Parts: sequence; structure tokens; C-alpha cells
Amino acid sequence: MSDSLHFYGKSSDVVAVSLPNQTGSVIDQWSELRSAMTQTVPDSFTRDEWAYLMSFLDTTHLNQPFKECFGETIPAGAGPVVRLFRPRGRIALWLPNNVSLLGPLTLILVSLTGQPLRIKAGSQSNNLTKDFLDFASSRLSDCALRRYLADSVICETFDRHHIGNTEMAGEAQVRIVFGSNEAAREIHSLPHPLESIGFSFVDRRSEVWIEEESLSDKLLTTLLKIFAIYGQAGCTSPRRVVLLGGDTSSALALRDRLVELWPTVLPGLPAMNVASENTMARQWAAALGWDARIAGSNAGVIAVGEPDLLVIDSGMFLGISAATPEQAERTLPDNIQTLGYASQEPNHIRWLELVARNRIKRLVGLDEMHHFGPLWDGSEFWRQLFEAVEISS
Amino acid sequence: MKELLAAPPYSNRNDDDLLRALVSLSAEQLSGCPEYRRVWPDWSGADKFDELPWLHVGVFKHLELRTHFDGVHYERTLKSSATSSGVSSLIVLDRDSSELQSMSSLAILRDFVGGEIRPLLVLDSAKSLRVRGHLSARVAAALSLKPLASEIHFLLEDPEDARSMQWDKLEALLDRFDDLLVYGFTWILWMAWSAEIPERIRSKLTGKRIQFVHSGGWKKLEDRKIERQEFDRTLLMDLSPDSRVVDYYGLVEQVGIIYPLCEYGYRHVPAWAHVIVRDPYTLQPLLNQPGQLQLLNALARGAPYHNVLTEDVGKIIEGPCPCNRSGPKFELIGRIPKAELRGCANV
Repeated sequence: MSDSLHFYGKSSDVVAVSLPNQTGSVIDQWSELRSAMTQTVPDSFTRDEWAYLMSFLDTTHLNQPFKECFGETIPAGAGPVVRLFRPRGRIALWLPNNVSLLGPLTLILVSLTGQPLRIKAGSQSNNLTKDFLDFASSRLSDCALRRYLADSVICETFDRHHIGNTEMAGEAQVRIVFGSNEAAREIHSLPHPLESIGFSFVDRRSEVWIEEESLSDKLLTTLLKIFAIYGQAGCTSPRRVVLLGGDTSSALALRDRLVELWPTVLPGLPAMNVASENTMARQWAAALGWDARIAGSNAGVIAVGEPDLLVIDSGMFLGISAATPEQAERTLPDNIQTLGYASQEPNHIRWLELVARNRIKRLVGLDEMHHFGPLWDGSEFWRQLFEAVEISS
Repeated sequence: MKELLAAPPYSNRNDDDLLRALVSLSAEQLSGCPEYRRVWPDWSGADKFDELPWLHVGVFKHLELRTHFDGVHYERTLKSSATSSGVSSLIVLDRDSSELQSMSSLAILRDFVGGEIRPLLVLDSAKSLRVRGHLSARVAAALSLKPLASEIHFLLEDPEDARSMQWDKLEALLDRFDDLLVYGFTWILWMAWSAEIPERIRSKLTGKRIQFVHSGGWKKLEDRKIERQEFDRTLLMDLSPDSRVVDYYGLVEQVGIIYPLCEYGYRHVPAWAHVIVRDPYTLQPLLNQPGQLQLLNALARGAPYHNVLTEDVGKIIEGPCPCNRSGPKFELIGRIPKAELRGCANV
């Protein structure tokens, strides 16, 4: 794809971005793919995952990174250019085993830059990125997007010791690693170009904080859906719900209401090993002092405990603690990522002050906890796929 | 309990006595182990085996449980192999229970391989014994055969390498003995015995009477498409016709209770143990349907591992068995199938 300059403006500043000529077409072609996506769901995707991918491909949504990072589109010559953003070049993306949609979503965002992308998928799991690539390539007609996917994207599967890791690190100007702390450390210590940059999206935990006055069945339905998509396996999934202003009896009432709602919100049987793990988790939690109940047909475990009681590591375990804001803040995990919140005063300065004092990476409403975007884990990683050039006249 | 263990394992079963013993044992465990009591805060008694308080086997991967009672003397900690989850179960052994558990496994094994005393060859390395305070499941399984052994020989140089067989050592033993007992984890036994056996060893094996006892999962062999018939045939090749292969099922969390496969494909429950099958979704007991196996025994006192819900699938088979062993029996179907949760690889 040949490049041309696109102009954007934020307040009085005009910036130029060097982008492939066909960026607009690529966005339209992704959006057009959605009609094919409505007709079938590949076996490797759940319906929820596929539906989220479709919503991600909406034209307005795909234009959002440009708007957030560079401003509104403006015509050339609208004012003096103060910055030029130029793609850094080749991008390498490492994905762990059993990863969710992060692969396809990152692929889509990277495609907007037109830069070559080499993806290493986990070696012991479904490769959703490859499956999505195959789907897109088979459904798209001959167009800029299809040519980009065919000519500029490589998706491979190999293990952590494979020479491919060294090759990827050695040739990329940008390294993006999703995975464990150890995996990220290993990858960034591979020889890489001096001026290349790296992003590590590593082990994180998320929580939901709800003010007691904000409780409603609608909110709890959202909470159950958000939790159950990935359980604890998702970095954006809540492991703990903090009931602000509540006490133990209101926390128990919240737990019981969630257990009651579960079968209607999340009908169906879990896999047998998930049911078995939940049986174990309920007992493990009880042994440690949680007041735990099984939800659905052994599909989840919801438990009430003191704020400083450790949340046990089990896929479908959700802890609830009644706490004051001070207790909740004191017991935030060190690697907190997303704080989903429900408040009568969502815009109150105390929420911003909370984020400012802690290492929270995202403060969002419950229904946005799993939303992925160009700003992730505290890094404007998509914007940094471009280097900034100072321009003055 | 010692009187019960002195009787043959598959006769004279008295379920009323066993239930009473298990109710009493459960009460003792609940009062001596606070974590266990927190799991079953309201339990006060049982009229049926399925009303007894159990623990999921996975709990032992996360908690090192101990039951305190007068005179308890804790010994070593038994550690599972962690092949499936990567996390070992830790079972604290106490002196009283260990004695009963040894008697139990001996009584069961004697029923399957006879009571003759003969040399025991272990497909492991003596190095595996030298871990202070801990005992691996593999070594514990081998040592359960010790009362049937006149002497014990470890045949592997490296415990992690099934191909490190010390053929010279085996050759010397074959020169001295015609009747041997061999124990190995299933896949290690296969790797060692299916390897290219040197011709000089092959000829010395001819006509020898060897009872092979193996335990541990079949998964690695299933991956290699090795079936039981081929496994047994390979091991028994050229041996005397009264040689035998005995495959037993057992858990670290049920140490002392082992379930050898009978000639008709079933696992028989000894008089001091019981088995229940539960629906994994409702936890209701099931009859004649596959479900999660729950194993109970009246031997374990030092920690509440006397009653565990396993992650194995099985089915209780009613009616007599042509092998003439009485009491409950079950078919072991396999492990609960795994389906990974997708996420960001956090856990």
C-alpha cells in the first residue's frame, strides 16, 4: 500500500499522519465483512466473542483510534502542521495460550496503520487469530484489506523456545506482548533493534466496585454477563465485587440475588471440568473463611468474605466484600487493571482521585470492562505505532 | 480396623459397620480439622454413605490439611505427580494411618498377585527416595509392594528417563531368580519394556515368571495409540504362562486403597472402603450412570482424605462379578475431559 498524508486537528493544532492511501477503504472493508459474519460463527469462537468482534468492526468504532489520537479529520491546508506521525514499521505480536479476542482485535487495529504484522500464537490452544484471518480472507473480495492480510500479515504457531521468537524480536520496530510477566521479560530481552519499542500487557487483575444505592437487577445482569464470559481467565474480568457502603448481610443478599439470577441470565451447563472445579472452589473458599454458594448448574461460585480475604484462584470464582472506600482501596491488588464501577455520582472527583492515587489502568462502567482499544493497560500503544516528528515553520 | 484388615478384602463385607466407622471417623476429622469443619459447618451425622462429608480432591492441591487428635504423630508428606494440573496434592501421613494403609494395600495386592515373597524390581531410581520429608506418589506406590519383596532393586539410572534402564543389573537378577515382581508407573514401564531389549536379556527372560504391577494414567500411552492388549502382550512376551500384568487405579488422596483391574475389567472395592458416583452438575448420587467417582475409606485419620470426590469418571456396576470378588465394583472410564477457559492467560 502506498502512503499519503492525512490531516487531523485537535483544538488549534494540526497534525499530519502518514497512512496508506487505502486506510479509508480498509475501514469500510472491515465493516462490510460484518454482513458475512452475521451468517456464520466459526466453531472456535463463542457467539459472544463473535458478536463483540462484529461490533468492533463498526465504521465509527474503527475511526475512533484516529479521532482519539490525532483529532478530527480536517482538509489539507487548514492550518500549520505541528507534528507529523509516521508509522514505525514492522510490528511483532506475541499471544499466549487460550487467549481470547486480543489477537483478532489487535490485528484489526494494526491493519489501520498498514504496517507488516507477524503474530506468534500460543502453541497449545485454539488460534482465534488464524481462524479469523482465514474467515476474513475467504469472505473478502479482492480489495485492499484482503491484499494487506495476504501480503503483510503472518500468523504462526510455535513454542517459546522456537527460533521464530528471536527472528520476530530482531526484525520488529514494535513488540507487543500479551502474556505472563515471565514471557514478556523473555521476549523483550531477545536482541532487538536499538530504537524499537515494546509493550507488555501482562498479568493483571480487575474488580467491580458498586455503591449499594446503585444496585439493580439490570446492573447485576450486566455483572454476571461480564464475569461469565472469561471468569478469572480474563484480565478485564472482575475477580472481586466490592459493595461500597454495604455490610455483611447486604453482601450476602447481593450474593443470593446473583445466584438466583444466574440460571436465567446464563442458562446451560458448563463443561464437566468447569463444574468439577467449581465444586472444588466452593470447598476451598469455605475452608478459608468465604461464605460460598454454587450458582447455576455448578457453573460458578459466588462468595462473601472480608475485604482482606484473598480471592482464590479458580476460573469461575467471584468474591464479594462489603467495604468502606478506604478498605476497598487498601485491598486493591498491586496489579489492578480495570476498575468497573457503578455509582450515583460517576463523575465525582473522588473517582479520579482514587485512580490518581493508585495503579488502576482503566476506570469504566461495568458494561465496558472487556472493551479493548488503542489505549490499553496505561499505554497509548496504537498511537505509538507511529513515531512523532516535530514540525515548525 | 486391624481385625477388618486381617480378613480377605473382597468378602465378609458389612456395610452397616463400615458406615458407623465412617460416621465416627468423619466426626473426629471435623472436630480436629477447622478447615474441613468450615466446609461442612452443619454436618451432624449420616444414615447413608452419600450423606458423609467429602472433600473435592483438588482441595488438597491448595491446602495442606491436618487433623489433630490425641496421640497423632505426623510423618512424611505424600506428594502427587502433578501431571495434569502442574500442581501437586499434599497429603500429610500420620503413623497410625500409615500402618493401616500398608496393611490395606498389601491385602489387596496379595489378592491379585499372590502372597509369595520374591524380589521386587522397581522402574524408578533409588535417587527418588532421597527427598527429605516428602514421598512421591511413584515411590509410595512401589513401596506398597515392599511386604511382598525379599529384596528391592531400582532399575532406572535416572528417575525421569525411562530409557535409562540398567540392563546389566536386570541381567544379573535374571541369572539369580525365576520369579519376580516388577512395579512401574504405566508409561515408564512401557517405555522401558517396549524399548529394544538387548538380545542377551530377551533370552534370559524366556520362561521366567514375572508379575508386573503398574499404576498411573494411560494418557501418555493413549497419545501413542498403545492399547491395553498390546501393552500386556509386549510385557508378557516369552515369559512363563502364569506371568501377569496387574493395572491398578489409586490416588495419592486415597493412599492404601488401590483398585486393581480384575480379569473381567472391573475395579472391586475392599471391605474397608466404599465408592459413590455423583452427577457433576447436581452432585446427586448416581447408579448405573457415569459420573464423578467419590472414594471413601475408613483408614485415614491424620487429615480428612478419607472421603474424596475425584476428577475421574466412573460407573458403578451392579451384580456379581465372574471373578468371584464380592462387594461393590465400578468401571473406571477416565479423567474428566478438559476444556480450557479462554482469557488473557492470567491464570
